[in-house]
Amino acid sequence: MPKGDGRKHSILVIEDEDNIALALDYLLTRENYAHDRVANGGEALARIRAMRPDLVLLDVMLPEMSGYEICQAMRLDPDLAAIKILMMTARGSAIERKKGLALGADGFISKPFELTELRSEVRRLLER
Amino acid sequence: MTPNAKPYALESLGLRMRVFLFFAALAIGAVGLLCLGLMLGYHRLGSPASLNAFVQGGVIGSFGVLGLTAAIWYLFDVNVSKPIDLLAGALRARAHADVSAAMDPSVARYLGDLAPAAHAAALTLSETRNALAEAVARETTRLSSEKNRLAALLSDVPVGVLLCSGDHQLVFYNGMAVDLIGAASKGAAPGLDRKLFDYLREGPIRHAHHRLTEAEDQDAASDLLCATRDGAEILAARMRLLPKDGAAAPGYVLTLRDVTADLAAHAKREALLTEVLDRVRRPAANLRALLAVLPEGTATPPAMDAALRQEADGLSKAITELAKRRDEGQADLVPRSPLRVADLTDGLRARLEARGLALQADDAPLLLRCDGFEVISLLAHMALGVAEGLAVRQFGLTVEEDSTDALLRLSWQGNALRIADLETWLAAGLDEDVPGVTGRHVLTNHATDIWPETQADGRQAICLPIRIARRSGPRPKPIARAVVYDFDLLGKARNDKVADSALADLTYVVFDTETTGLLPGQGDEVVQIAAVRIVNGKRVEAEVFDMLVNPGRSIPASSTAVHGITEAMVAEAPDFATAGRAFHKFAEGAVLIAHNAPFDMEFLRRHEAAIGARFDNPILDTVLLSAVVFGQHEDHSLDALTHRLSITIPEEARHTAIGDSVATADAFLKLLPMLQGRGLTHFGAILTELRRHGRLLKDLN
Repeated sequence: MPKGDGRKHSILVIEDEDNIALALDYLLTRENYAHDRVANGGEALARIRAMRPDLVLLDVMLPEMSGYEICQAMRLDPDLAAIKILMMTARGSAIERKKGLALGADGFISKPFELTELRSEVRRLLER
Repeated sequence: MTPNAKPYALESLGLRMRVFLFFAALAIGAVGLLCLGLMLGYHRLGSPASLNAFVQGGVIGSFGVLGLTAAIWYLFDVNVSKPIDLLAGALRARAHADVSAAMDPSVARYLGDLAPAAHAAALTLSETRNALAEAVARETTRLSSEKNRLAALLSDVPVGVLLCSGDHQLVFYNGMAVDLIGAASKGAAPGLDRKLFDYLREGPIRHAHHRLTEAEDQDAASDLLCATRDGAEILAARMRLLPKDGAAAPGYVLTLRDVTADLAAHAKREALLTEVLDRVRRPAANLRALLAVLPEGTATPPAMDAALRQEADGLSKAITELAKRRDEGQADLVPRSPLRVADLTDGLRARLEARGLALQADDAPLLLRCDGFEVISLLAHMALGVAEGLAVRQFGLTVEEDSTDALLRLSWQGNALRIADLETWLAAGLDEDVPGVTGRHVLTNHATDIWPETQADGRQAICLPIRIARRSGPRPKPIARAVVYDFDLLGKARNDKVADSALADLTYVVFDTETTGLLPGQGDEVVQIAAVRIVNGKRVEAEVFDMLVNPGRSIPASSTAVHGITEAMVAEAPDFATAGRAFHKFAEGAVLIAHNAPFDMEFLRRHEAAIGARFDNPILDTVLLSAVVFGQHEDHSLDALTHRLSITIPEEARHTAIGDSVATADAFLKLLPMLQGRGLTHFGAILTELRRHGRLLKDLN
């Protein structure tokens, strides 16, 4: 989906599970977003700095560095603070949601999610 | 008429009446003799003309004799009979009721040395008694302190403990038992000598008792599940028999634990697990079947594709929904005793101050479902980490209510805390005393999580949600934690007929009301009702009924001036029908006692229809009992009676329903041995005696 200035919105997927990443790849391509994927929490921040995406699709359970940690680090870094964060979790409990939102996530979606639900959440965040 | 009836009738008369009859007989005899003498003289004279003179002389003489006798009788009554009665009452009070106030010698100043002699006897008695009491007190001090230590120990046991006699009457209970069985019986807290089955269902307890009694093994215990009378609470109980004492069925100890929540949580979890298997198994099997028939690498036929999507959809939805329900039930799974926020704050402050850190906290009227030690350890551990890592000395603790959770926020002024640091602390042990328990372990135990936050005011914080158990009311009175017991009840003989019961064996409920005025017949109503119980000849300190009542009408200022109860105080109070029902339950099976009972009873009886119960208890009136003991000529007001019996009512308690109930009960307990000293040992005998004083007040039995 293009931005107002004609360029595509860019999304970085931080997800260690290949099958979910594959599904997201299909979806984001179909929706016409520029996107990339990182499978390891430890590499995530460096890639975000390099890519400067409009949105990060962030899994909670990641090797090396948790999604919460990445989320907090982004919010504490003035350069990255404006990037939208949509967290994805396998449990989706109310406590997880509260914790994610407290740490600065913009949205929350629990796995297994409906792709339509994910699509509308991504659109909502990018158009805000 | 039996030959014995006459002397008995004479003996049963009071001293003053007997003296009066003596003087009356004297007067009649003297007049009779005078008339006889005059008649003889008249006949000897043989002059009919002198009849008038003889009759006149006779009449004047008779009146003279009557007048003189009446005058002497009056002086005798005032100066001899009445003082003897007074002296006898005073001596009885000193002999039986342990009254030690000095006697007033002026009342019997015409009785020669009798009053000083009685005074000396009373003094010697009092001195002997004091010496004896001192010796006994010394000897019992050691026993009593031992007993108090045991009672304190038992009151703190976190399970309900009951001790019952072989006929299932309560002999002992602790505070926890009050919580467990009292809450279920709607306001009627447990009471000594009450039937256990007023609170718990009968079947399982009788069955276990029977089983243990039949068994040969004296040490055997029986585990059972029993329910409260209303079925709201399920309690796990263990019964053990007391050593057999005599031929009666042995008493037993019952320990109780509330397992309602355990059972419900367990059942919920079982049901959830069954549902998970059921709802996941089918779509999983279907998916597998569909994929098995699909050759690898070929395009999926449209019908097959739709079927695959549908099954995957169903599976995904089922898992999401079931996981959500599991999370909701998680915190209920581990039953924990509720912890007051204030107690948590105190504990945390103590821990931090020991390390030279300050904590400022606001109180919230909440009870949290958590393990106090674990949560305080976790927060203290976090604070120490922050203090060390971020050089912070001052902390704040706020509590925010957020639907079912309380969000505890430990905050400070300074730099933000990194999650990575938080995670490191969570992985470390919390306390040297409990090795192996980490912060993460505590979080999992409480089905919660913890995270750093930046607050709106710029302060940094660590947020910890804890499930709320309930809002806290005022702390229960300390007395509720006490153990209440009377082991003498174990061997107490019971009589079904009240009239045949010994006075000391009966259970009494002594009550008093405060009202809007003195005219129940003209619309005055009760604003406060209070009562205490007397069991086995002792007032049970912990068993108290005290309730404000909304009278449904205004309270005149003149009445408020007496009892201090204002309209604002009773605005939220229950109406008399509700209070009366609770009082009826409290008074069940007891003899009712009040000072001037007809007044208080009229309020109760007038509302019987609204209350839905009849007050058909036997009734005693301390005004009448005082008249029996001290004679009718004395002042029988509560103040006068308590003064006479050396009972002090604290000024602030006077004219409160509970203060007057306690005073009346203590007066009754002092009157009891005095009545027994007069041979009135059974309830029936008291009633017969009271009916003789019926003209003083109406008899309600």
